[in-house]
Amino acid sequence: MAYDIQTWIKVAAFTGGGMAMGFGAIGAAIGEGYTAASANEAIGRNPKLSGDIFKAMLVGQAIAESASIFALVIAMMLLFTKFAQNTLTPFVLLAAGLSMGLGAIGSGVGSGFPAGAACKGMARQPAVSGRLTTNMLIGSAVCQTPAIFALVVAFILLFQDFSSYPVSPMWAAILGAGISSGFGAIGSGLGGGLVAEASCDGISRQPLTATPVTNVMLLGQAVTQTTAIYALLVSFILMFKSFPGTDLLAPPMALLSAGICMGIGAIGPAIGEGFAGRSAVAWIARNQEHIADLTRLMLVGQAVAESTGIYSLVIALVLIFVV
Amino acid sequence: MEDLGLIHQLIVPIFGHKMTFNIDVIVMTWIVIFALLCFGFFATKQKSRLPGPLQVIGELFVKHLFELTEDALGERLSKKYAPLICALFMFLLLSNWLGVIPHLEEPTKDLNTPLSLGLMGFLIAHYAGIREKGLGTYLKAYCEPMFIMAPLNVIGELAKVISISFRLFGNIMGGSIIILVVSYLTFSIITPPFLNAFFGMFVGTIQAFVFTMLTVVYISVQVN
Repeated sequence: MAYDIQTWIKVAAFTGGGMAMGFGAIGAAIGEGYTAASANEAIGRNPKLSGDIFKAMLVGQAIAESASIFALVIAMMLLFTKFAQNTLTPFVLLAAGLSMGLGAIGSGVGSGFPAGAACKGMARQPAVSGRLTTNMLIGSAVCQTPAIFALVVAFILLFQDFSSYPVSPMWAAILGAGISSGFGAIGSGLGGGLVAEASCDGISRQPLTATPVTNVMLLGQAVTQTTAIYALLVSFILMFKSFPGTDLLAPPMALLSAGICMGIGAIGPAIGEGFAGRSAVAWIARNQEHIADLTRLMLVGQAVAESTGIYSLVIALVLIFVV
Repeated sequence: MEDLGLIHQLIVPIFGHKMTFNIDVIVMTWIVIFALLCFGFFATKQKSRLPGPLQVIGELFVKHLFELTEDALGERLSKKYAPLICALFMFLLLSNWLGVIPHLEEPTKDLNTPLSLGLMGFLIAHYAGIREKGLGTYLKAYCEPMFIMAPLNVIGELAKVISISFRLFGNIMGGSIIILVVSYLTFSIITPPFLNAFFGMFVGTIQAFVFTMLTVVYISVQVN
């Protein structure tokens, strides 16, 4: 059966919208549930503060939800916008949906961690609840960064005019760009959440260390995002480089695999770096005399954990430029 | 909605090459520079023991950023690099906040600005490293753990520039796209003030701080 292009665009828009919202709903729900569980535990320990803890839980859940809301916006746009009649459009819609849907998973789960730790921390140390809330807001907002990267790629895909590009390698480049930024955001969101959780916990244990703990948390989260940024870079190259048209199957497959390689390769290093950052932040709160040593060890450990991400970047770039 | 991704460019042909200038970004950068110059002038104009509001803000910036640099670099080097770090943070902060004002947009939204600032930090870090450790020790650091790993170490160093500049660029551009799309969908009635406060002020401040701190850390990694 041969369908016309109109039908394929509809098919891709529905599939992409479904995947954007379906995948996008996974992470935020897990993160919010974790926050609620921690809030319950906190109220159980210190019932007098139930009002404050309830408020902190709602704020934390609202931030965790924003990743899902990004996915909702993309899904709505896919369902209700009219798109250009172009052979590449179905791939664009599919890739935008994949990018945003997968990209929302990590950030949703990750933002739940600091919110939960802040609730528990308030129960333990009510005097610092203001500082804890600030720290939770900063940590959760930075956790959203990978989801924002995925959103940027989805929007560029939807609004970039691809009509002048050759269809044959470009369909794979577009799909690769979506897959790369989508998968690449999973690990960084999760890892950043681990670091932020340790910092909220640390501030509630030792409020005097709040400033260095927040600083090192930001540093740890920033390094954790590095592989998501490599994935963003690979998707930008795939979207904006003009590839020569070809009838062969091998060049498109190389571009698609570049996206898959960088996307999946970015998950592991980011989570690993998150572990390194988590324990560094937790121990800075307990042993503030050795902040410099702990920070240095964290950075070196993260650099080594990141080397596999750099291998993926190298292979992805080789697939794009050499093969 | 149509102006998404539209850039006003001035293309000047010089000796067969086309020089491209992004007019908006240049104008916005000059607005930021001018505002910072005014701030510096008025904050230090009447220095007194009972400081005025501008002087207090200036002292806050200087004190905290000097402390931050001193923690990472030590007392001797921080005297040299803290003014740079101060200037970098204030420039980035004001740049990221500029989009809150209607009709103005963030210079950091264009990849050229973060990339050039990232390259600047990279060059300064490596210059500091060579100066402090000597060229031999500096080059030796690339051959760890084995000298076969040298190409990957070089790529790892170059990737730092990419990661620091794309982080800022992605966040600021993502925020401005979200504000644009949401205000288009809701006909600019409800959400823009809240979204501007979150993406413009809050995320902008965090990202300016992260960029500054990473620059300090890159210098300190090379120096130690």
